[in-house]
Amino acid sequence: MIKDMDKQFDFEQVGKRMPYNVPDGFFDQLEQNVMAEVTAGNIATEKPRVKARTVKMTIRILLAAAAAVALFFVVTKYMPSDTTEDCFANVELAYNNLSPEDQEYLMEVYEEDVFMIDEEIEY
Amino acid sequence: MASYKEPVYWHIRRLVVSHADAQDAAQEAFVRVFRNFQQYNEANSFKAWIFRIATNEALRLLGRQKGDLMLSLDEVTADMLGTKTDEYFDSSDAITMKLQQAILHLPAKQQLAFNLRYYDEMSYEEIAEVAGSTAASMKVSYNIAKEKIIAYMNNND
Repeated sequence: MIKDMDKQFDFEQVGKRMPYNVPDGFFDQLEQNVMAEVTAGNIATEKPRVKARTVKMTIRILLAAAAAVALFFVVTKYMPSDTTEDCFANVELAYNNLSPEDQEYLMEVYEEDVFMIDEEIEY
Repeated sequence: MASYKEPVYWHIRRLVVSHADAQDAAQEAFVRVFRNFQQYNEANSFKAWIFRIATNEALRLLGRQKGDLMLSLDEVTADMLGTKTDEYFDSSDAITMKLQQAILHLPAKQQLAFNLRYYDEMSYEEIAEVAGSTAASMKVSYNIAKEKIIAYMNNND
């Protein structure tokens, strides 16, 4: 009985066609909706984190401030007068008295200091 | 997601019929896939895992419409399926409509076995993972489903 019916209906007549369709661009929209929902869920459940970049920047600022204070005291100690020529000489002397690591760090801070570079450009 | 969005949507659509319901269930299924990705066991088929989540989401939606939290495959009856059509339904192709009606008249387990084998070309082992059953049982379900569909197609002109 079933074999007879099998002869009458052939699945190949239909194949994988279906009487259903979807709006244009639906699957792209579906993907966007899912990603938006997943992202929103992650943001809602995520604990506030301090970014590593912020920590690094804070450390650099503190180190730069410490180096500036150290330089101030060294310069003050070796500065005999207030003349400009003496001042430059004293700064150079103070710089030479710093350890190589401190000298290197000061140069690094100087090179990366946006405001100091801007002043040079104006001249 | 790119390679699964269409097959998963159509799998759900064949179960819930209306586009709006299929859209809701598919979206929820993919969100669950992303959020529960760590629970996926690599020893099993990834495709089967996703289709299992999608099937559960379709059953959950049908259950909500019935007033229950979620239905099992054995609780879904033929008259609950295929009752809703919308503008995204093409009634011009009579034979494809009739085939879908034949499928929707099957018990849910046979329907699942037939759809996953016929449309998604899954192995019986994968179908068993989706349905939470055995490969042998799903093979029997598929063959019974196929016979019933042929009978329906021949007898309901």
